[in-house]
Amino acid sequence: MKISLDWIKDFVELPELSPEEIGTKFTISTCEVEGVEESNAHFEKILIAQIKSIEPHPDADKLNLVTFDVGSGEKRVVCGAPNVAVGLKVPFAPIGTTLPGGFTLEPKKIRGILSEGMLCAEDELGLGDSHEGLLELSEDAPIGKTLADYMNIKRDILLDIDNKSITHRPDLWGHYGMAREFSAAFKNPLRKAFDNKWVEKMQAFYNDKKAPVSIKVEEGTACLGFTGLSVDNVTVKPSPLWMQQRLTACGMRPINNIVDISNYVMLEFGMPNHIYDRDTIKGGQIIVRTNGEESVFITLDEAERKMIASDTVVCDAEAPSGIAGIMGGLSSSVKDETTKVFIEAANWDAADIRHTSTRLGLRTDASQRYEKSLDSCQLEPTVLRILELLKDSCPQAEPVGALVSDALDFKEPLVIDLKIERVNSILGTTLDIPEAVEILESLEYCVKVESNIMKVTVPTFRATKDVEVDADLIEDIGRIYGYDKLSPVPPLNEITAVSLTNAKQLERKIQDFMVYRARALEIYTYPMLGAKLLDQADWNIKNEGLILANPLSPDTDRMRPSLIPGFLEKAALNQSNYSTFRAFEIGRSYLASEKNFSEDRHQLGIMFFDKKESLFMDLLNLVGDLLENLGINARIMKPSGKFENPLVASDWAGRHPNEFLDIQVMGKLAGFITTVHPVVAGKFKIKGNLSIAVLDVTDFKDRPLKDKTKYKPLPKYPGATFDCTVVADNDAPVADVLSSLGKVKLNELVDYKIVDVYSLSDTQKTVTIRAWLQDKDKTLQPETITKAEDMIVSALAKAGYPLKQG
Amino acid sequence: MLQKLEEVKKEFESGISSIRSLPDMAQFKADFLGKKGKLNALMSGMRDLAVEEKKAFGSKANEVKQVMLAAIEEQGRKIEVEQINAKLEKNRQDISWTDKITDLGQQAAGLHPITKLTRELEDIFLSMGFDILDGPHIEDEYHNFEALNIPESHPARDMQDTFWFKDAEHLLRTHTSNIQIRGMEQKKPPFKFVGPGKVFRCEALDASHEAAFHQLEGMMVGRDISVQHMIHFLRTLLSEIFKKDINVRLRPGFFPFVEPGFELDYECMLCGGKGCPVCKQVGWVEGLGCGMVHPNVLKAGGVDPNEFNGFAFGMGIDRLTMMRYHIDDVRHFHSGNLQFSEQFKAY
Repeated sequence: MKISLDWIKDFVELPELSPEEIGTKFTISTCEVEGVEESNAHFEKILIAQIKSIEPHPDADKLNLVTFDVGSGEKRVVCGAPNVAVGLKVPFAPIGTTLPGGFTLEPKKIRGILSEGMLCAEDELGLGDSHEGLLELSEDAPIGKTLADYMNIKRDILLDIDNKSITHRPDLWGHYGMAREFSAAFKNPLRKAFDNKWVEKMQAFYNDKKAPVSIKVEEGTACLGFTGLSVDNVTVKPSPLWMQQRLTACGMRPINNIVDISNYVMLEFGMPNHIYDRDTIKGGQIIVRTNGEESVFITLDEAERKMIASDTVVCDAEAPSGIAGIMGGLSSSVKDETTKVFIEAANWDAADIRHTSTRLGLRTDASQRYEKSLDSCQLEPTVLRILELLKDSCPQAEPVGALVSDALDFKEPLVIDLKIERVNSILGTTLDIPEAVEILESLEYCVKVESNIMKVTVPTFRATKDVEVDADLIEDIGRIYGYDKLSPVPPLNEITAVSLTNAKQLERKIQDFMVYRARALEIYTYPMLGAKLLDQADWNIKNEGLILANPLSPDTDRMRPSLIPGFLEKAALNQSNYSTFRAFEIGRSYLASEKNFSEDRHQLGIMFFDKKESLFMDLLNLVGDLLENLGINARIMKPSGKFENPLVASDWAGRHPNEFLDIQVMGKLAGFITTVHPVVAGKFKIKGNLSIAVLDVTDFKDRPLKDKTKYKPLPKYPGATFDCTVVADNDAPVADVLSSLGKVKLNELVDYKIVDVYSLSDTQKTVTIRAWLQDKDKTLQPETITKAEDMIVSALAKAGYPLKQG
Repeated sequence: MLQKLEEVKKEFESGISSIRSLPDMAQFKADFLGKKGKLNALMSGMRDLAVEEKKAFGSKANEVKQVMLAAIEEQGRKIEVEQINAKLEKNRQDISWTDKITDLGQQAAGLHPITKLTRELEDIFLSMGFDILDGPHIEDEYHNFEALNIPESHPARDMQDTFWFKDAEHLLRTHTSNIQIRGMEQKKPPFKFVGPGKVFRCEALDASHEAAFHQLEGMMVGRDISVQHMIHFLRTLLSEIFKKDINVRLRPGFFPFVEPGFELDYECMLCGGKGCPVCKQVGWVEGLGCGMVHPNVLKAGGVDPNEFNGFAFGMGIDRLTMMRYHIDDVRHFHSGNLQFSEQFKAY
């Protein structure tokens, strides 16, 4: 929102500070000033010129060389305007003038001829939209005088206020409310232009005539008060230049005196209002009611709006004339010949307006103000201020009857008890009661001090929502006192020991393991995805219970049920840049839940990709290592078929027929490792081998990470090893060969592992196994070794793996 | 005799350096020091000498013998090293061919930059005695809005374009402030904790706007905590984050869950507060939102506002990360593009 300091100065003196300094001070005390711009300064440089002669540009068809008089002498410019004529008086911007839009005139040759400035059209001056030709000034305009003097245009400074910083302050959506803040911030008195005396003076224009329009507000509407006043004898004409200037500066287009006054008062008081052509109000009645049914209403901007039964509408005796608090209809606006008007000022419930305006996608100057919760006490002053300006514009204008109103519901004033000790304890200040009272009163709070307690009456314009409790008053005191006067003080602290939560420790441990051990890159993939990706991944949990009502796109319309689909997408993305890669994510998947609506599942996803070979074994070994490192009771095993793995459907097409294993943690399936089946990989155009593991840590992440290391004394006597090579069928898993040694019951056999596997033929292979023998109490006896060797060989043979001969 | 001894010694010295193999060396040693060697031949002529001469010659000959033995051993070692080196030479590898200059696919390993910054922040907070908490991404209206003093129809809901689920009661948390309520529900004051995490806003995406991004929210609740304590704490915090002393300023800011509420700016580090394009010429950069916890929020968290108070603050992690690494586009964070990730390598 733009705030004109020229306008503010109607109500309060401002100190001699640079515009930037004013902006900074206001930012610190009230709300964020995003920018400071000077407006109208160019009018002080622009001179009235009279054209003396015109000759065609020698090198350009559409351009002329125009010579003119600016009082101090003659100048010449290159000009393309169609309406140049000798004798015409036009505005001339000399070299060095900065025009609205930030363009500064510099000496410049146009098609080889030097132009000494610019003759201006209306839009170039910021006086209107027209670019049809040079602005033609009247014949008596004095040559050489500045446009500022001639048109009585004052230089202004505009503050660009960040609307977000005043969403909680309905009182700051108009210049008068802002002026009150300037008054408090700069400690200059506020000129209370609209006090009770003024109200009484204006009310004196009311008369005993019968009001030609009556108001009725029905039950159950959004209305918090509806007021109106009929006025006769108005003349529709352009509004005065100063008003046009202020409206333009604040971003509104001047239209005619009636519309301009309506807008001007909204920008001054912050209260939206509407001035009707009274002849359009059928039956002399205004009825506020709910729409009652679904219907279509055509708003002022000629758009069709779909209304629902609960929307509040403003109607005359026959039909709706506007959507309450948002926008009026086409028909009720004033026309050039209008003489009788009806001024409406009404207040509406913020939530209702917000709902309707959000649903219609129609956010207007009015609706965004009503959304802030406006103060019904401002309704009559708004009407009176419009009347005052109407009378300025059309002195013969006069009210018909008095203010009519309905549903006006003034609340009891809000009184808050405030203790100075609390103020000082929260702010860290050493204010006394009179100092606090002075600040509060500068913001129009009424304060009575009773036995050291400040009884603070909140002005109605702050009491709609913003100010509720003493903390709100303390904020006002703090910011006007000056936050820059508060100095940093270290807090007194209890000594407490803190450490990372178990879940965080686990997360970090996994991340570190993945980086330093697995040499993988951590990635984040999107928590939302769409049905298309799930279909592509053949993922049949579609998470329909977790679809967003307002997604940004169909591709991100729901929460991901698994990390897998996103991984497939990212594998496809990265394969073009890397012949092999390893990536992981610690992220959440989301499950719909009957009980709690949803469940965040904390998961680790790992993907290994290689263009040439399957990295399944690398991934399997890594996951095994990780589980062991985490010290949790886990098993990696072939799917038993008895239990459904909650992390992957048993019929998922991406499961590899051989390279697939379940991960079981503490007796529950909590993950899996698979190479992605070429059928699914192919749907993502993945050309290579992609192996993926998922581990769900949700159920054990909060358990303490225990260091389960148990030290064993080192062996005191030398041990021995024994290698033997046995023959097995080619398709016998080597782990089966090895595990047949589990049957050997011999204390001295401490470990056994595979040393080598060698293919003998198409059907057979040899497996070399090494056994470690150790006696912890004495040196191994040769007979023990022989016995062990015999037991080992016979156990293997019994299991069907005879010793290789020769 | 002595002269002859001298000649043998000279012959030995000139011969030994040309020996290149161990068998040659054995032969050479036999030639001079063997039973039938040259030194022995001289020694056998010793019996013709007078006692005095015999003594002198014997001692000299022994000396020469020791010198020869030492020289033979040294030359032997030399030959051995030469032979090993010759073998090593055969197995020479090109030590210029490092992984760095070879295409091995992805090589770097490392944490996501958001993880890095989050850990850094967590460690700073831990060092100041804050617990690190977490909360769900999918929230109910109560924890995301109501308990934070943002009732239905509050204008604050305008600022937060919320992702709602179709039941109209659940949503994606719009801030990590939900952790405030969940934290207070768990703890008895005094306490201090932070909650970093992912948050969601229904915002059109561009280089500086993401619908899923990261925040850190924290609070400190105790007795008699003032705005001045908050300033001290936040200044210390920012100085830790930026690793230099930093000036801060407070200005009014509106967050429904704090009152008074502030925006905390810090002095622009590029221009030192003089004004530059980065700080939009004002010399200050928006740092974080903060304020004294609203009494309604304390109540919602089960804390008596008449006994305890405190401050809360929140900051964006994405922007901090972008500043740290000069990242130009916030959308890289969720891109899963390894070309982005591998720049943040730790290993």
